[in-house]
Amino acid sequence: MPTVTDRERTTEPRTERSPVLLAEGSRAYRIVALVIVGAITGLALIGTTLSVYRMSQVTAVMITAIAVVGLNLATGYTGLLSIGHSALFGVGAYATGILILDYAYSPLLTLPVATALGFAVGLIVGVPALRIRGLYFSLVTLALGIAFPEIIRRFDDFTGGAAGLLIRSQFLTPPSWTGLTRFERGLWLYGLSFVSLVVVMLLVRNLMRSRTGIAMRGVRDHEVAIRSNGVDVARTKVITFGLSGAITGYAGGLFAMNVGALSPDGGSFTLVKSIELITAMFIGGAGTLLGPLIGSTVTVFLPELTSTWTTGPISGVLFGVTLIVLVFFMPEGIAGRLQIVIRRFVRVVPSDHPVARRRASSTQNSGGKVTGEEPVAAGGAEHPPGPNSDDASSEGSSR
Amino acid sequence: MELFVERLLAGVTNGSIFALLALALVMVYRSTGTLNFAQGEFALFSAFFAWWLVGTGLPVWAAVIAGMLAGFLLCAAAERGLIRPVQKKSELATLIVALGLFSGLNAAVALIWGTDTKVMPSIVPNGLDDYFELFGARVYGDTVVTWVALAVVTLLMTVLFTKTELGLHMRAVADNAESAALTGVNTSRILMLGWGLAGAIGALAGSLATPLAPEQLSVTTMFPIFIGACAAALLGGLDSLAGAVIGGLIIGVVEAMVTGYVPLVGGAMQQTTAMVMIVLILVVRPNGLFGSKELERV
Repeated sequence: MPTVTDRERTTEPRTERSPVLLAEGSRAYRIVALVIVGAITGLALIGTTLSVYRMSQVTAVMITAIAVVGLNLATGYTGLLSIGHSALFGVGAYATGILILDYAYSPLLTLPVATALGFAVGLIVGVPALRIRGLYFSLVTLALGIAFPEIIRRFDDFTGGAAGLLIRSQFLTPPSWTGLTRFERGLWLYGLSFVSLVVVMLLVRNLMRSRTGIAMRGVRDHEVAIRSNGVDVARTKVITFGLSGAITGYAGGLFAMNVGALSPDGGSFTLVKSIELITAMFIGGAGTLLGPLIGSTVTVFLPELTSTWTTGPISGVLFGVTLIVLVFFMPEGIAGRLQIVIRRFVRVVPSDHPVARRRASSTQNSGGKVTGEEPVAAGGAEHPPGPNSDDASSEGSSR
Repeated sequence: MELFVERLLAGVTNGSIFALLALALVMVYRSTGTLNFAQGEFALFSAFFAWWLVGTGLPVWAAVIAGMLAGFLLCAAAERGLIRPVQKKSELATLIVALGLFSGLNAAVALIWGTDTKVMPSIVPNGLDDYFELFGARVYGDTVVTWVALAVVTLLMTVLFTKTELGLHMRAVADNAESAALTGVNTSRILMLGWGLAGAIGALAGSLATPLAPEQLSVTTMFPIFIGACAAALLGGLDSLAGAVIGGLIIGVVEAMVTGYVPLVGGAMQQTTAMVMIVLILVVRPNGLFGSKELERV
């Protein structure tokens, strides 16, 4: 578990130099938060000036990132390894596709349905987790991942079958209130994906600080311990999988709106997609807030990068090698590693932290110079200093 | 009757391939405690190697054995060089290394031997007329070879684990590596050997599967077989060798029967049906049919 390495590494430098504490709700904290929000908005606006091709790539990254956020909820935070998220992604995508084509829904209105269906399928798949654990549970999700393309092919009068589903761009026109024309669909989806990603990440951040979130991490770290603390493990697992499915289903809906063509045989809804999502989650950092975004960026751009150096299968070899090298040097993922490094210097603590109150003046002075890296430190706050589940739950009850 | 026997035999043949690769997965699980996602690609690499050796004029049986040797070395080296260093870090890191090996090996095969489909010759003559009849059903040489291979491998493994000191050491390491090391077992060597044997068995499965597989030998040949083997290993219980064999045969036969006799799902949803049945079995027996229950001390 990454949390164990966290502890080993962070206790070391603390003896040399204690990190600057940044109390939540203090003025320094607010300034840092404001700068981050400004920076993110600025980056997003710069993104709109990209070429159409680049912008669609960034949109693809963000949609993948939303799907990975969903996976991360189940696998990264709760420890339920899922190889079936490709199917949840597909459920959302096909819900959107079918609703637009057969029921003349406007694209935006299909997203709640895609989310609800993802939630429902997630719940159903989550139920066996009550009895089946570990890799055996992964087999249940594997079954889902295998079943989905076959079901799509079997019920072809409904889903378009192997031939696929084509949503022509006239159905995907941006809503009139945006003032965008049919040919600015790229920009519309860029904006929509960006807002969705931010909202979903904020929701997950808050969820992980809630009682449920603490219960989820407890289930991952030590099921027996968290159960003896009064957490309903069964309920936590099922709900987590439902929420995870909802988020990934939502991402699927966005994917359908972005791509406009769905097929059971491409890599979009098969196990290949599941592997891609898992890879992205681990490269970014399982169980971290920013991990999904970083990981998706790497998995979308790394194959392109390796294919500019060489052509053909060598890029595949390089991708595999890079993956292994990444695991060797940062098994906690990129975001996980950044978190560890940043926590040596800055720590975000709750507003009622005794030391932070005493040092309130010093944090205000140094708050400004770390702004660039702050998002990860802010993400770090959702791993409380002591990663033990009992620490975590005591912190939760104090809220 | 004829049709039934034919379907049953086809199922047993597919099941034997699943069972062989599932045995490899179980060997790795017993050594390292993880599912080796790259097992199918190790087998693919070895099968391509064997195919290449056949092309250089080696007899097929010798090429298959050389392929097994290559699989042994490849897997043992991967365990020593790539898996063991990250294994201590986290279980999930091990999984990612396996995923990296999965895409790396697959691309390496495409790089070395190309993405076009190869025809791997069978060990025995497998022309249209090389069959004998069993209850009216035609049985070809290829299929018999897979049954024999599964039987021989199972027998050898049983002898290894129950009659030899090496097998005893392997069981001890699988049970509790630290205690085994304290009693003087060279755990490092045993772990490498476990992976190596898995690689060799996987290579055998790969070489035998390709003449039967619809895609013959290409970069995508092993993935569906690997999925079947995963399901087989989990159905039987991840740490049970007998479970892997029985699980593999069950999955092969169930798939064949569903394809043949349930017209509604037919050929389109055979894997789904098999998987749903496995999930139902797991709900009743959460550790597979023969797997041992995980004990957790608090």
